Amino acid sequence: MDVLNGLLNGFQTALSFQNLYLCFIGCLWGTMVGVLPGIGPLAGITLLIPATFGLSPTGAIIMLAGIYYGAMYGGSTTSVLMNVPGESASVVTCIDGYKMTLKGRGGAALFISAWGSWIGGTLSIVGLMLLAPTLANVAMKFGPPEMFAVLLVAFVLLGSLGSGSFFRTMPMVFLGLLIGTIGMDPLTGSMRFTHNVHELYDGIGLLPVAMGAMGIGEILFATEETLVKVIHKIKFRDLWPTRPELAASWGPIMRGSGIGFVIGLLPGSAHVLSSFVSYITEKRLAKRPEEFGTGRIEGVAGPETANNAASGSAMIPFLSLGIPTGPAPAVMMIALLIHGIQPGPMFITKHPDVFWGLIASMYIGNVMLIILNVPLVGIFVSMLRIPFRILFPVILLICLIGTYSVNTSSFELAILLGFGIPGYFARKIKYDIAPLILAMIIGPTMELSLRQALMRSDGSFLIFWESPITMTLIGASALLVLWNIYRALRPTAASWEKALEEGT
Amino acid sequence: MTNDRAASLLFLASGAYGLYFSVQLPMGTWNQPGPGIFPAVLSFLLLLSGAAWFIRGKGKQRAADEGGRRGAIAVAKNLATPLKIVGLTALFVLSFNLVGYLLAASLYLFILLLWVSRYGIAFSAVLAGAIGLASWIFFGKILAVPLPQGFLPF
Repeated sequence: MDVLNGLLNGFQTALSFQNLYLCFIGCLWGTMVGVLPGIGPLAGITLLIPATFGLSPTGAIIMLAGIYYGAMYGGSTTSVLMNVPGESASVVTCIDGYKMTLKGRGGAALFISAWGSWIGGTLSIVGLMLLAPTLANVAMKFGPPEMFAVLLVAFVLLGSLGSGSFFRTMPMVFLGLLIGTIGMDPLTGSMRFTHNVHELYDGIGLLPVAMGAMGIGEILFATEETLVKVIHKIKFRDLWPTRPELAASWGPIMRGSGIGFVIGLLPGSAHVLSSFVSYITEKRLAKRPEEFGTGRIEGVAGPETANNAASGSAMIPFLSLGIPTGPAPAVMMIALLIHGIQPGPMFITKHPDVFWGLIASMYIGNVMLIILNVPLVGIFVSMLRIPFRILFPVILLICLIGTYSVNTSSFELAILLGFGIPGYFARKIKYDIAPLILAMIIGPTMELSLRQALMRSDGSFLIFWESPITMTLIGASALLVLWNIYRALRPTAASWEKALEEGT
Repeated sequence: MTNDRAASLLFLASGAYGLYFSVQLPMGTWNQPGPGIFPAVLSFLLLLSGAAWFIRGKGKQRAADEGGRRGAIAVAKNLATPLKIVGLTALFVLSFNLVGYLLAASLYLFILLLWVSRYGIAFSAVLAGAIGLASWIFFGKILAVPLPQGFLPF
């Protein structure tokens, strides 16, 4: 009953003219950034943060969330029509989506992709609506030891599920945690690593770091590549899938919703991982897996559904625990903090209007997005005619003003550029920078929880082994670390063969 | 040098820096942990993981020498454009407060379009001026972001 009442109130909030307008702007901008290669949801959200300063927190989060899930819809368009993923989650869609376009079925691929995205997105909002308040209620009973254990398992998962290996990701996590300690110590007021630089007393700004490492790094990387590609045109009548295509899509859409929802709850690049897992699952379940890669609708329906479902469920840990699972939710969290709202266990109780307004707006936004992405797909495709060499200076400038406008600080511009350079090199040498940013954001809470827990237990580490929650979480973390060590050390098939050859 | 070894050197340097400065902070006791303990532990872990990567990289070094060289060439390749952009952005950041937003942004865009995007002088000037002015109106006037004026009267 609470859920229904909350949802009704949420619709009252979301259906106000201003919030409907903001939801539309968010979805439109999200689709645009999703369509344009080189700009992902993270850059899209950050660019519009300054525009939220004059808005209510509800309006701000409605617009920013619209960009996030809107980008997932838009990302498939270029994958299907140009073989260029609009954003990282749509990489896998290129495989069969583009082959469908070459066969003249690109319209159907776009329709199924939007349809699956809508179903996956809507189902994940239902999950978010039901699960987030429950999780927040449980988390309200958490003390410092439980919080520390939750964050510990989050970091180990981050290392295990990241795009690199566990031992490649963990140094990035440690570095992020270390950067997160810069500034005033929250318990004693001592300055750490500030070297008398006043601007560092409050720590390094999260927004310039996230925007620099992800946004600027991404743009610098994109300027290396040529973006001259053939754009295939789609007519409205070509959008309708055939009956067999529709029938073949149902299974992948429903499985993709489940896969995306579960993976979205985990830290890391959830929407990217979910689309890959969904593709692999569909290929394994297919009667003729060899046909995957030649233009199968299942190869589009599953992954596109999964990445949208993941974007919905990724909001659960962020809103109810205050733990962002990816860079885009992390920037949304920063935006809420700028508006004086702290996501976490108390968020839903303290700001029910913001939470339920957001949920209702996500239902509305998903309907807007299916309208934007099916009949109006041609308009977004025409945007790709803007040369990237015009687009990138504009994006760079907006990144700079966006960062400057938060605290009107030139120092933060230097941080932005300073983190843009390692972000670029990390991309170039295939290191995932996202764990560093997430660690930096979550790190201070982890340190505080650890120190508070130790103070409470009078220095005894047994406090982490007292409640079933901490025991389970710490046990799970230890098992995950051991599993990763085993994975790194176990002999591969090739080394077995070599050893056998040498033996004989 | 392989990419992993280069990255491991960065981790080692960061860990050493972190450890050096964190041990100068009060460590406290386990029942009253001081501000230095958490960064010291992290720096130690960073040093450890950096060293592990470095050694692992050394083991693979001989076999990967050719691959490593190719990796290094791939990293260095196409570096010119990003370097130009970084340099220009650094100049923009430095001159931003001095010359004011409108002029700095227009000049920044003009040079980017002319030098990096390789458009003509007239096109670059018109586009840079138009975007600079539009962004100034949008951010400075509509969103009321206090953009620096510099020596300009607006």
